[in-house]
Amino acid sequence: MSTGGLTLAVPSKGRLEEETRRIFAEARLPIERPGGSRSYAGAIKNQPQITVRFLPAGEIARELIVGAIDIGVTGADLIHEGAENGPDRVVFVRPLGFGNADVVVAVPDAWIDVTHMVDLADVASDFRRRHGRWLRVATKYVNLTRRHFANYGITEYRIVESAGATEAAPAAGSADLIVDITSSGSTLAANSLRILEDGLIMQSEAHLVLSRGAHWTPLRKAQLEAMLSILGGIPPGISTIL
Amino acid sequence: MKTPSERRAALIRLVESKTVTRVTPPLLLPAAPYLDLAGEEFGRGLLLTTANDGRDYCLRPDFTLPIAVSYLDEGLLDVPAAYTYLGTIFRQSENGPEEFDQAGLELLGQPDAGQALDQVLTFARWALAIYGVTAPSIRLGGVGLFEAFLAAADISPAWQARIRARFGHPEAMQRLVERLSRPPEKTGGAAPDGRETVIEIVTDAMLSSGLSLVGSREPEEIADRYLEKQTLAAERIPDRMVRLLREYLEVSDTAPRALDRIASLTASYGIDIEEPLLEVRNHAAALAALSPKAEVIFDASFSPRLDYYTGIVFEMTGEDGAILASGGEYDRLLDRLGAPQPVTASGCALWIDRLEAEAASR
Repeated sequence: MSTGGLTLAVPSKGRLEEETRRIFAEARLPIERPGGSRSYAGAIKNQPQITVRFLPAGEIARELIVGAIDIGVTGADLIHEGAENGPDRVVFVRPLGFGNADVVVAVPDAWIDVTHMVDLADVASDFRRRHGRWLRVATKYVNLTRRHFANYGITEYRIVESAGATEAAPAAGSADLIVDITSSGSTLAANSLRILEDGLIMQSEAHLVLSRGAHWTPLRKAQLEAMLSILGGIPPGISTIL
Repeated sequence: MKTPSERRAALIRLVESKTVTRVTPPLLLPAAPYLDLAGEEFGRGLLLTTANDGRDYCLRPDFTLPIAVSYLDEGLLDVPAAYTYLGTIFRQSENGPEEFDQAGLELLGQPDAGQALDQVLTFARWALAIYGVTAPSIRLGGVGLFEAFLAAADISPAWQARIRARFGHPEAMQRLVERLSRPPEKTGGAAPDGRETVIEIVTDAMLSSGLSLVGSREPEEIADRYLEKQTLAAERIPDRMVRLLREYLEVSDTAPRALDRIASLTASYGIDIEEPLLEVRNHAAALAALSPKAEVIFDASFSPRLDYYTGIVFEMTGEDGAILASGGEYDRLLDRLGAPQPVTASGCALWIDRLEAEAASR
């Protein structure tokens, strides 16, 4: 890694990319992607010291946690999920007002006896005796699920990792309930799943995030401060905590 | 004992003494039994790797499980066994993967469970003495005592199960006790006609959402728990029992005082748990005799998080509060692993790196 120059990671597709580029453009830091949606390198006009990389949001979170990139736009949920100590490895500079999603616990609507996490604790505690296996939770949010369940004293369950279409897992018989993100709840409802009344694990939105583990030289800190001041809404001096 | 290597030699002599068998389970173990036994909470501490066939393996995270599994696999159920171990275990911690030196004793299928526990306590005490720890803080907990207390109290079996499931988890237990202490909630709406109707409603809901009626929770199970919940809301635990439960869980004092307090507390509520209390008293007394300088605390709410612990549990801590030894009775372990008959089990694990640090700081 060079001593000067910053790497900014931007989500590589969809609304997250559009909104990120809009916010930077409004701050007169227009992000260019010369090769179009198939290229993974970009630049900001008049800011040659900033290298832009287009990456999937989950990968941005992981790279920020390990310090392979300096600055990134990604969901708070993905930072929490990227590693157990993910949030300690980064600085959340500013929420960006888009990419809102709630990570929630949802059970089949037919489970009329289960309305709160305490009900789930009861069900989990004798599930194995009744069914000869653990209660299964489908999710891609392994760390968030473990932490939330542990807070409610639920230990007797297994996580089934699910890459996509988590909401279909109960009907497919691969899990009994799910932890997933939802913005309107309509996908959950369409799959006859109901969010528990205290089943909100976290409210996430896209953030501008700094990596604590990146190699922050005085020059790079100065470049960071300059970029953040152009972007606005961030008090100066944040680089002192890096 | 002077140097680290002398202490190490003494520890090896202890785990290789004549009355025990030292065993060394493989470093690489299938992960499934751990996850099956202890669930996700323990699973997050495993260092995992995946085999070509997709099965998960972990670096040995403890010795108890592989020792119990091989005891079972070798068909030794009726044979009293005493296993010791000394070696590395691997865990995920806050600071990333870590390896620790652990030693311990497992007594399986012993005819006299009480004697076995005293043997475990003696082993732990000798191991600590090797490292110059002669006055540890010892915390005792009574899982069996709490179960006997619940069974004897005027608390319905459905509530007993809910309370038992939260033992050893202070936050969850506190939330439950608070919930029990509140005035009864009005359950919304009129209760449905009866079990058959509720089953029908649940079945319809499951079918219309494409859920299988078998394999996961079944309509009868959901309906029964739904009705039970309504009954529980209506048939609350008597206030005096909630008060008793709260007072019981708060007891934490030097062992004789704590046990006297529990005796007088339960007696004043007309509950008889003299027999299990006497058992705890005897072990506490044995412990006091073993380590006269140790401070022995009985903490009524103390229990490891794993639900296979049964009788008395303990942990011994050093000067800086680090746990040096922990263990107890876990008769449900072999049952969980599929033993066809009850098998008594007790044991302890020692954190050798911490003991060495204690010794070095003296």
